Amino acid sequence: MRKLEEVLNDWEAVIGLEVHAELTTLETKMFCGCKLEFGAEPNTHTCPVCLGLPGALPVPNKAAIEGIVLAGLATNCDIEKHTTFYRKNYMYPDMAKNFQTTQGPVAFCMRGHLDLDVDGPAARERHGLDALEPGQAEGNITRTEDGYTAHVGITRIHMEEDAGKMVHVGGGEGRIAGATHSLVDYNRAGTPLIELVTEPDLRTPEEARLFMQKLRAIYLALGISDCSMEEGSLRCDGNVSLRRRGSAGLGVKTELKNMNSFKNLHDGLAYEICRQAEVLEEGGQIYQETRHWDPSAKRTIVMRVKETADDYRLFPEPDLAPYDLSDEFIEAVRAKLPELPDQKAKRFEAEFGLSAYDARHLTEHGSTARFFEGCMAEAAGDAAALAKPVANLVINDVTAYLNAHEGFALDGSPLTPERMVELVRLAEADSISSKQAKEVLLAVIEEGKAPKAIVEERGMEQVSDAGAIEAVVDEVLAANPDKVEQYKGGKTGLMGFFVGQCMKAMAGQGNPKVINELLAAKLDA
Amino acid sequence: MAQQAFGAMSAVQIQEGLKAKDFSAAEVARGALDGIAAADGQVHSFLQVTEDLALEAAARVDDALAAGTFDELGPLAGVPVGFKDNMNLVGTRTTCSSRMLAGYESPYTATCVQRCLDAGALPMGKLNMDEFAFGSSTETSAFGPTRNPWDLGRVPGGSSGGSAAAVAAGLVPVTLGSDTGGSIRQPASFCGVVGVKPTYGMVSRYGVVAFGSSLDQVGPFSRTVADAALAMNAIAGRDPLDCTSQPNGLDFTASLEAGVEGMRIGIVPEFMDAPGLTPEVRERIQEAAAKLEAEGAQLVDVSLPNAKAAMSAYYVLGPCEAFSNLARFDSVRYGYCDPGHKDLNAQYDASRAAGFGEEARRRIMLGSYLLSAGVYEKYYYPAQQVRTLITQDYTRAFEQVDCILTPVAPRTAFEFGEIGDPTEMYLSDMFTISINIAGNGGMSVPVGLGSDTGLPIGAQVIAPAFQDDRMTRVAAALERIYGQASVAPGFADGKAGE
Repeated sequence: MRKLEEVLNDWEAVIGLEVHAELTTLETKMFCGCKLEFGAEPNTHTCPVCLGLPGALPVPNKAAIEGIVLAGLATNCDIEKHTTFYRKNYMYPDMAKNFQTTQGPVAFCMRGHLDLDVDGPAARERHGLDALEPGQAEGNITRTEDGYTAHVGITRIHMEEDAGKMVHVGGGEGRIAGATHSLVDYNRAGTPLIELVTEPDLRTPEEARLFMQKLRAIYLALGISDCSMEEGSLRCDGNVSLRRRGSAGLGVKTELKNMNSFKNLHDGLAYEICRQAEVLEEGGQIYQETRHWDPSAKRTIVMRVKETADDYRLFPEPDLAPYDLSDEFIEAVRAKLPELPDQKAKRFEAEFGLSAYDARHLTEHGSTARFFEGCMAEAAGDAAALAKPVANLVINDVTAYLNAHEGFALDGSPLTPERMVELVRLAEADSISSKQAKEVLLAVIEEGKAPKAIVEERGMEQVSDAGAIEAVVDEVLAANPDKVEQYKGGKTGLMGFFVGQCMKAMAGQGNPKVINELLAAKLDA
Repeated sequence: MAQQAFGAMSAVQIQEGLKAKDFSAAEVARGALDGIAAADGQVHSFLQVTEDLALEAAARVDDALAAGTFDELGPLAGVPVGFKDNMNLVGTRTTCSSRMLAGYESPYTATCVQRCLDAGALPMGKLNMDEFAFGSSTETSAFGPTRNPWDLGRVPGGSSGGSAAAVAAGLVPVTLGSDTGGSIRQPASFCGVVGVKPTYGMVSRYGVVAFGSSLDQVGPFSRTVADAALAMNAIAGRDPLDCTSQPNGLDFTASLEAGVEGMRIGIVPEFMDAPGLTPEVRERIQEAAAKLEAEGAQLVDVSLPNAKAAMSAYYVLGPCEAFSNLARFDSVRYGYCDPGHKDLNAQYDASRAAGFGEEARRRIMLGSYLLSAGVYEKYYYPAQQVRTLITQDYTRAFEQVDCILTPVAPRTAFEFGEIGDPTEMYLSDMFTISINIAGNGGMSVPVGLGSDTGLPIGAQVIAPAFQDDRMTRVAAALERIYGQASVAPGFADGKAGE
């Protein structure tokens, strides 16, 4: 198969997402009073309603409706004041009533959008970007200095209930194929679920990944879900089809499932785009089917072929009266909207003089943003000066640590804003090198000590004294007369060698900036 | 003291006797149990008799009598009550008269049943019905039909046939039934008893196995209007577990003596001239109207021009909702299961084919077809539009009148097997169905016997939504004219079981 970048030169990918989020932060289920709890003993949080027993009736959870209205307001949706619940009829043992309560043509939230900032390497997947000047728009994108902004339409967000969880026993990896029997846990049945459907506005796997990241950040900021892709409280299906560059029609789409991480979402879509291109280029045909992304095999496999559209026999749920939202309710919910990541990023730019890129990355996670703001408060009068170095450490090193250490949380960790600012002050005063700063950061987290204590303990204090360094520089130059000759002859690349020798002589504690300056002064004289 | 036919007494009489210490609640329960044991073999109204539950409840009533707290118990204190078998009651089977649920025991109790228990009722057992309430004769019960106490060769009507027949046979003074298209009123008419279909939302549906969720409503049967009023006082009102239920503060007993003087009573010419309405029924209804006029009511012709489309709308909406409501009976978690299939769909098919009777399968298939893509738009939307039009018809009519008087059923009780064609059977509900479609209340009250058949005939009193006490008020006036409904002749006092 060809590489994605090559494929996207010839083909345009048309991608739409369906994103399910469980409203895990609620106390109770969508239509009954059962407790919401992940990981409880199977079938312990059930009642006649979520078990669909004969005679049971649903009662809507108003807190869940508040949750979906929050989601709609935060994604620029129109809130529909008059909506109706519908029954989606299909028989499967994870749905005790054999119908799922969902919404009809009009959902609580309609016609929204999110604007994605795509920059850096992520922008490379977008075809034809070079032809645009910054500020210039084409289709749903606008070129920016280091990438582009994509306007992604949201068709709707509707309210529904989750099904129970099926466990197939006896087959491979819990799959149904080869299983001897199946178990159902109805604890999850009736969990409030909001499903967001995008317009087919996405064109690259990176855009899909960024959309999900942005949506997750918003949902987390709203506090409506724990958004765990691993535990399944945030799930994403992708619809993807290809068309020749320049063609306007839509190709046959496939639906992709099991993309339970941002990486899987990107890689699954990327694989599927390449696979479809190969099939089409060989004169083959794409079938409308559901495919499963297998991350270990790095390919998508057919789950089920859709010969005809499923007929879910949707009709208005007669046990629930049409749901009316008053203006007062909507306004009360609007008043509860927290500062959203985008707004926070704008504020960080203005308040701390950060770049858009830095501000966006700092505000992607609430805890990171909180930590950064804590640091700025700690820095007090030096906030403006320390903002960039703090941001660099947080975006690169702290984030890397968070990604590598599941379960580690900034809130309540040994890395307090106070210690972070102390560390950055040490680096800014050239007391330690930037490389040492990274080492100290790690030690603060893992040993729970203050940066100054670690620096002292490890004897890391950086030598910036020009006199001390000059002596070392002279020694190194005297010991390598041939290299000095070569340098003066034009081989300026040898500067790195001299710096390295000086550092070695100073056991890594020399201030590289001062060493560089002194070497340059002597060699270029 | 001598064995009394407690089931043949009214609830009001039983409560008077209890208060006067003429007898104990335990004696009431025991007497009713004996009456059922003696006579129900002929009628087959009970599917299950709950002796233990009745005696336990009676003991609580006797304790209250001894403690002097009887008046605090509630409107049905000491009254034997039977429940249609689509109502959940912990400790009983809830079968819906279907093989599908033959051994099914609900882990929870329906709100309407619980309210009866909370009001001091003695739960006597579960009553036969058409399977899942699909029918107008109780012939579709998987456990055999119920017979009409007035003529054991005839049907009691349906689907709440067991509930009507148990009251008509004098086995219990009060039962509960459910009415989706006429399932309380038509059997009440056939069995010569009082039957109330309250406004949709008056009584909680929680725990009543659903047929047509937007049409179903629970209501009482009794031989006297006063007993029906007591039962309504016990069961009506908002239930947080049924979000379609509404609060109401009606006291059904308050207006029973108010009479009809000055009331405007609507007569629907389209109904009175309907083809299929038998002369003997028309005669009794015209007579009842005339007697109410003589009591000071004003008769006003009102038109329900769209009511003729009610039957068509009903046989779209009802099966659609039933198809979906009955989908849960899939043999996996409970209910009838035909095991041993390799494939889940094969198990579904085999279990549902064998577990559901013919009429249930017909309605499920009809609903499945009507909701399918391309068909839905052609039937479901128009049916909903008809629903709106019929509701508007009633709204307009009630601008002119306080209530409406119509026949309940076009004829008196028919013989077993007499009606084989399902669409002909559906016509049994021609005068009752439009009320379920519109959602307001209707009740059946006996107005004498047919001049041709000698069988009971009920008049239907229809009230505006949530003004249901107007029905009991007019029904009480008719009861004063015609006399209280008697136990069916073959089961009259002392004859039960002979």
